[in-house]
Amino acid sequence: MKINNGVFGPLLVWLLFSALFAGALDSHAASGSSKQTVSVLYAGPLATVMEYGVGPAFTQATGIAYQGEAQGSVACAQLIRGHLRTPDVFISADALVNNTYLMGPANGDLVKWYMLIASSQIVLAYNPDSPHAKEFEEVAAGKMPWYKLIEKPGVRFGRGDPTIDPKGYRTLFVFPLAANYYHRPELNTILGEPQNPAQVFPEIVLMARVEAGQFDASFFYRHEAAARNLPYITLPAEINLGDPNFAAEYARQSYTNAQGVTVHGAPILFTVTIPGDAQHPETAVAFAKFLLTSKDLLHQYGFGDVPHQLGGDSSQVPPQRRSLVDGAFKP
Amino acid sequence: MRNSSKTTFIAFGALGGLLLAALILPIASLLLQANWITWTAAWKEEGARDALYVSLTTSIVATAIMTVMGVPLSYVLARAGLPAKRFWIGLVFLPLVLPSLAGGILLMQLFGPYGWIGAPLASHGFEVTNSYAGIILAQIFVASPFIIIASYSAFERVDPQLEMAAAILGDSRWQILRRVSLPLAWPGIAAGATLAWIRTLGEFGATLLVAYNPHTLPVYLWVKFESDGLHGALPLALLLLLLAVIAVIVSALLSRISGQTGTAMVE
Repeated sequence: MKINNGVFGPLLVWLLFSALFAGALDSHAASGSSKQTVSVLYAGPLATVMEYGVGPAFTQATGIAYQGEAQGSVACAQLIRGHLRTPDVFISADALVNNTYLMGPANGDLVKWYMLIASSQIVLAYNPDSPHAKEFEEVAAGKMPWYKLIEKPGVRFGRGDPTIDPKGYRTLFVFPLAANYYHRPELNTILGEPQNPAQVFPEIVLMARVEAGQFDASFFYRHEAAARNLPYITLPAEINLGDPNFAAEYARQSYTNAQGVTVHGAPILFTVTIPGDAQHPETAVAFAKFLLTSKDLLHQYGFGDVPHQLGGDSSQVPPQRRSLVDGAFKP
Repeated sequence: MRNSSKTTFIAFGALGGLLLAALILPIASLLLQANWITWTAAWKEEGARDALYVSLTTSIVATAIMTVMGVPLSYVLARAGLPAKRFWIGLVFLPLVLPSLAGGILLMQLFGPYGWIGAPLASHGFEVTNSYAGIILAQIFVASPFIIIASYSAFERVDPQLEMAAAILGDSRWQILRRVSLPLAWPGIAAGATLAWIRTLGEFGATLLVAYNPHTLPVYLWVKFESDGLHGALPLALLLLLLAVIAVIVSALLSRISGQTGTAMVE
């Protein structure tokens, strides 16, 4: 019996080479001497602005490579808390996610401060090819109140999942606020159960469903609709959770999830922080500073302005960044 | 000669052992950190029980449908002398190559309330989106290749001489299939059906897009991971692992029993 070496020889050589090559790649990344990087874990709805706007602009301005990852805000916080990710920068779609999941001794004091970077608001975006697009256009032109269309049988609309997305519970808050504002109590019950399967999907699926034309419309942040070029209907400031002047009214709404965690209505504010276990604190500071001075870029992507207030312990802010703080934020 | 074969086994054993370690270590670490008391308590939560029920019922129905439709398809592929047979078999492989997320996007477009197929169904009050039907559809899309390919090769392996003998003895095509081909191919079909069943139990990507609700076990695991982090997800990972173990045992038993009866029937 003769063993044929014709196949296995080259295979072994190839395996050896690939192992060596993988090792070389690894040490290259670890030394990082040739190129600095910043890793950013951010709330899913920011994907477009981060990947096409802020990320490339930051690399262009500083030469530091940008690595972004999008997840739900709560999921980001859980990843950091579980030490499954050690990002240099964390951007949340809800200031309170910092307080609830990452700050304080119970959470290992992973985050000690955060700063407001931008605001947004809830809008009703629709697919321009929907069979109901004409009616949505009439609503957008102010000829019909938006809730009339939402109430209409056959109009299919989506919203986020309140158990995993802040946008999910924020959409729940819009309806009781609207019931008050329009004096139409029936708006309180129009959404059905918080988990109503006719409406609820995770954020990424929601956008895909509207773009694929399988939902006529869905509740989104304004900057998401703007980023995807979806036409949208804006809601009054009293109910869209976008105006800090109505914070007291928003705060009367609350939602308690299955785990017993209660969240209250609040203006939609995005925050930035540098977790305690960041691997590259210096590039993290550079990135946060860039973000806080990129007002025009954020505008261009549909975000609103906010004073850069600080939540948490101001003495923990890196000294290089104190000049950027515009007072204290009390959630 | 002996020595060289020993060296081969040592070299292969080392390579294979590394791969095996990569497969087993994550599972071993799950078992090592398992807190059986709190984890089994997590299985009793309403959400987990509902998800287990949804996963079991949909996966069994999906496997039954795949078997009833997939076995005839594989028999046609193996025996009907189709033109361009390779092409048809290539088509069957496609869902295996496609990431299940991509499969989900395509299914969503087709079966959504405004899709080509979904719209007429919806107008008759039958919603595929976020329903048991949607879950089963996603499972069938990703898992069918397993049973079709397994049954196809099982039918291919049946000795044509035996079928011809039965034909000469006056059996019809249906009688040949029932008395000769099916009993001989059955162990392969059963193995394919169990593989397909295991695949449906773990299906996530396509299901997420087509039917986020009601949550199957993998979707529920993701939701718990998103909302509660590791301690929410790990108990469910263990539950899925145990289900997989049960499925593998069932598969082994099934192919043994059916293997015996299969041979016995032919003899």
